[in-house]
Amino acid sequence: MLAAVDSCTLAGLDVRHVEVQADIAHGDTKFLLVGLAATAVKEARERVRSAIKNSGLQFPGQRLTVNLAPAELRKEGSRLDLPIAVAIALARAGKRPPPHTAFLGELALDGAVRHVDGVLVAALGLRKLGYERVFVPAANAAEAALVDGLVVTACGSLKAVVDHLVGVESIEPYVATGPGPELGVEPPEHDLAEVHGQEEGRRALEIAAAGGHHLLLSGPPGAGKTMLARCLPGILPPLELEEALEVAQVRSLLGELRGHSPLGWARPFRAPHHGVSAAGLIGGGSGLAQPGEISRSHHGVLFLDELAEFQAPVLQALRQPLETGRVSITRSGGSVSYPARFTLVAATNPCPCGWAGDPVRSCRCSPGAIDSYQRRLSGPLLDRIDLKVGVRRIKLETLASEPTGEGSAPVRERVVAARATQLARQGCLNAQLKPARLRQLAALEPASRRTLERWAEQRGLTARGFHRAWRVARTSADLDRAAQIAERHILEALGYRLQDVAA
Amino acid sequence: MAIVGSRRPSPYGEAVAEQLGADLAKAGVVVISGLALGIDAAAHRGALVGGGVTIAVMGTGVDVVYPAGHSSLAEEIIAAGGALVSQFPDGTTPRRHNFPARNWTMAALSDLVVVVEAAEGSGALITAEAALHLHKEVLAVPGSVFSPLSVGTHGLIRDGAGLVQNARDVLAALGATQEVLDDPLAPPRSLGFAPPRGRDGILAHLSDVLALSAAEIARKLQLPVAEVLGRLTSLELDGAVRRHHDGYVRALRSGQKRA
Repeated sequence: MLAAVDSCTLAGLDVRHVEVQADIAHGDTKFLLVGLAATAVKEARERVRSAIKNSGLQFPGQRLTVNLAPAELRKEGSRLDLPIAVAIALARAGKRPPPHTAFLGELALDGAVRHVDGVLVAALGLRKLGYERVFVPAANAAEAALVDGLVVTACGSLKAVVDHLVGVESIEPYVATGPGPELGVEPPEHDLAEVHGQEEGRRALEIAAAGGHHLLLSGPPGAGKTMLARCLPGILPPLELEEALEVAQVRSLLGELRGHSPLGWARPFRAPHHGVSAAGLIGGGSGLAQPGEISRSHHGVLFLDELAEFQAPVLQALRQPLETGRVSITRSGGSVSYPARFTLVAATNPCPCGWAGDPVRSCRCSPGAIDSYQRRLSGPLLDRIDLKVGVRRIKLETLASEPTGEGSAPVRERVVAARATQLARQGCLNAQLKPARLRQLAALEPASRRTLERWAEQRGLTARGFHRAWRVARTSADLDRAAQIAERHILEALGYRLQDVAA
Repeated sequence: MAIVGSRRPSPYGEAVAEQLGADLAKAGVVVISGLALGIDAAAHRGALVGGGVTIAVMGTGVDVVYPAGHSSLAEEIIAAGGALVSQFPDGTTPRRHNFPARNWTMAALSDLVVVVEAAEGSGALITAEAALHLHKEVLAVPGSVFSPLSVGTHGLIRDGAGLVQNARDVLAALGATQEVLDDPLAPPRSLGFAPPRGRDGILAHLSDVLALSAAEIARKLQLPVAEVLGRLTSLELDGAVRRHHDGYVRALRSGQKRA
């Protein structure tokens, strides 16, 4: 007796179809599991055997062979427990599974179906492969239900699933019950209204938010760099549905989607500590790489405080994702690619002691120490940051008074409008414009072009730096609701950079 | 004469060193300094701008320019008829304990030492001390009483060092004749610079001493910071203002290119 059940395995965000075939034949009692199974899948034998017995179903007392096809594809994780058990049960019952249906889930020894990671990713992939119905653990039902056109069956136990399939007692399809995903604008955790002064930093933050530009804040300890950075999520628009799904996919892989409303509308804000490893930041791990902080910040903000304290190789690893918005990582188990289109906000002191350039306190670092501190930041990484702003300490007496700056709400309105303009014009944010499209969509008047070229020549701007300034100018013009980039926009864009202290 | 001071001066100190270097070089004085960052480099550069001869007394072998970023400055010094001198053998790399010895040499080679900005414990104070031991005159440029970089210089003045307000003070201390005093130097003026003229009103609000951030200027003028930043960039492009650390100062000379 033979039965075949569909399931899938994940390699990053790639979903590969797996067919679980179970064959019960005459012979000695034996349970063979073949088809390039990794450790967790091999262990499925024991879980499945116990789960079937403890569900009150009979485990075949004959020669049982389970094959995971295609045989050359390596299978990871415990998602295949449920499909294996279902295939065995169906083979015994001589039944076929319903058409266009896939199964995912881990089994407990008592037959309960347990939560697995990556169900949203799997469900999206299965829908693309043409599946119409999925059986997933009850704890994952809400995330699977996010996928359009997919009927979700929430599985509580193996017994219930088998009863449903053999027609004893059917399970109703899952209907999202929790509070539906609403596009609510929650008040931001940190509001710009609480920031004293820092007009330059505020403006740079607004530009970064509007155009998706990367931002570096440099200043002495306690100047308010962190406060400014934490205000960024509050002036960004909520995620679009498409974006929210991408964010949720990464979280799904990490097993972070729980509860009834797995979709979040707030943009991610991640602030890894400077001790983070390259694997933690860009993704890694043994076998197949897991997403790292940069992928968790996808469509959101990655805040790196004390940038110079990060290990050099970790910072170097940021270069590719900063350019392409994706990261590809190869580990022993194969190569995976994750989205990583984030806005980088970095903060740094100007020197090891932090006080270089401060008008009152003097810096105690030797010029050599400052040089090596800044060299750690300099070059390729800094070249990829569009906006560099010095943040000064403000006077203590100012702190005692009420801040007079704008709150986050009006800034957010301007940002939303500027982003809408960009998306309507070019389908992406200015920071992601390729040079060819930049020339086409953000043409410069002769005077502006001359200014930019003059500056580039005088300061030895790289081609990348040249285009970055151009993109920032486009965003400045968009915030101005100007169709054409004016010279003042170019000049402003060129103003956002830091003088090296050891000039 | 030697001009020495902090390796990380304020814009004010840098401007003073450069102006003194230039004016004294014009008056025919050989400007000696140590090729270090900050005041030293500003003094050498000023002397070169003034079309004079300047000597760099190095703490390394003459073939080892330290900091390496000053190799073009070293070349300019030689091209202008100056010299790089060192008491250390060729190939000597920068060593902490060599620099005080170099400071003594610098004092010995000079008839007079001017200290421009020195924090407490600065190497420039070693040069001043050496000069006193060698019976050379020591002068100091006063600074802001709020600045830690003034502690050393004000201490020297308190102890009897002459006060330098401009190149004339230095020339007088050198015992230059009246003729030299009057001839190459413009009519006496304070150590400030020509009042800003022309294109942009922002210039009037900028100091040539204290760096102001774009935000501060914007607040003063009640203008959006974006506009102020753009205008400052434009002025910077024309060489009328300079960025220093995280603020802007008026440039010493219009159109002057920084090393």
